[in-house]
Amino acid sequence: METLTIMVLLAFLVVIAVGIIVLRDLLAGVVLLGLYSLVAAGAFVVMDAVDVAFTEAAVGAGISTILFLGALSFTKHEQKPRGHDSVTALFFVAVTGALLIYGTLDMPHYGSDLSPAQTHPELTQHFLHKSDSEIGIPNVVTSVLASYRGYDTLGETVVVFTAGVAVLSLLGLRRRRPEEEAPEDAPGDLPTVPDDEAEHK
Amino acid sequence: MFVAATLALLVTMILTLFRALVGPTIFDRLLAVNSFGTKTVLLIAVYGFLTKRPEFLDIALVYALINYIGTIAVLKFFEYDDLGSGAYQEDDF
Amino acid sequence: MMWIIWILSWLLILTGCVFIVAGGIGLVRMPDLYTRLHAASVTDTGGAIFVMLGLFLQALFVYGSWFIAAKVMIVLFFTLITSPTASHALAKTALLSGFVPTDANGKPILDSPETAQRLARSRPEAS
Repeated sequence: METLTIMVLLAFLVVIAVGIIVLRDLLAGVVLLGLYSLVAAGAFVVMDAVDVAFTEAAVGAGISTILFLGALSFTKHEQKPRGHDSVTALFFVAVTGALLIYGTLDMPHYGSDLSPAQTHPELTQHFLHKSDSEIGIPNVVTSVLASYRGYDTLGETVVVFTAGVAVLSLLGLRRRRPEEEAPEDAPGDLPTVPDDEAEHK
Repeated sequence: MFVAATLALLVTMILTLFRALVGPTIFDRLLAVNSFGTKTVLLIAVYGFLTKRPEFLDIALVYALINYIGTIAVLKFFEYDDLGSGAYQEDDF
Repeated sequence: MMWIIWILSWLLILTGCVFIVAGGIGLVRMPDLYTRLHAASVTDTGGAIFVMLGLFLQALFVYGSWFIAAKVMIVLFFTLITSPTASHALAKTALLSGFVPTDANGKPILDSPETAQRLARSRPEAS
């Protein structure tokens, strides 16, 4: 049953990814990306990676959906049809994908008890038995992430923070003036003018 | 019992995914995505009981909330074409 | 006594499954947005209530844990608050952008998209 659930969820991921690529409507793409993250997080839960699932759900389905929507409000809702041919791009993507798949062949199998993390003579035992007395956090994953490899996590956080600051400084924090710059062709526009006239009379 | 529930949820997720991909309008997709999210919440809850480890229900809770926030954010964007500049507030309420 | 609990949770979860699958079929087969909304809401509330009640019985009596049972109830509580709200917001936004509901023959039941928008903003008559 577990295998079946994982297979179905992974198949969902493929179908959604193809859907995102095929659809021209950018808003639908954003919605489907949120769905993609939700399914990916569900697959993580089924694979017992609960903390990764939390992160994926919060970041992928929550924050990045809202970030994409914020980006969409600066542009149009429809993707431009591309004129140039994409054979070269397809070639490079295929080669990169093949290399990545080749790279995964060296990794231990999913759930394998022969992976380096399991067979290391004392490291795993040390983390499992000592982390409660050394760190004082009941969850071993948290204590490894936030303390044993704390500098690594700090570095990651600095990278993400720098990227965020750079994007903000590129975009600028200027607020849009609502009347002047509201796009004319938005599908959700309200016919505000007749109502205003009615009220003023 | 939990196997039956998991299968029912997976089948319904396939149906919902079909609607999310076919559309035709953005609202149909959004409705399907929201419904799919609820089904994911139920799937995680049922799956916890299926594997006899129902401690992971917190994630189902997080999902329920994030799914809601995502749907409301897209709808707000669609209605106002913005995420909080307050462009329409004075004449809308 | 345990068999009563098992049969009860069986019944609850299977009823929930029927609701869920029915909603999924409705979501695919219904003709327009508003009827699909109706089908999806059946899944989100009816299905969730029955499945979660079944899980609640399991958690309370089979696992004997108040903590897990309370978590199930909290998940159900938030689902019951959020999904009708989301459905309502969806219908309102659809009306606001001028989607006119149709009757069984595909005839619009409102005379124009503007009427739909006015309805969504709770102004039935043009002032």
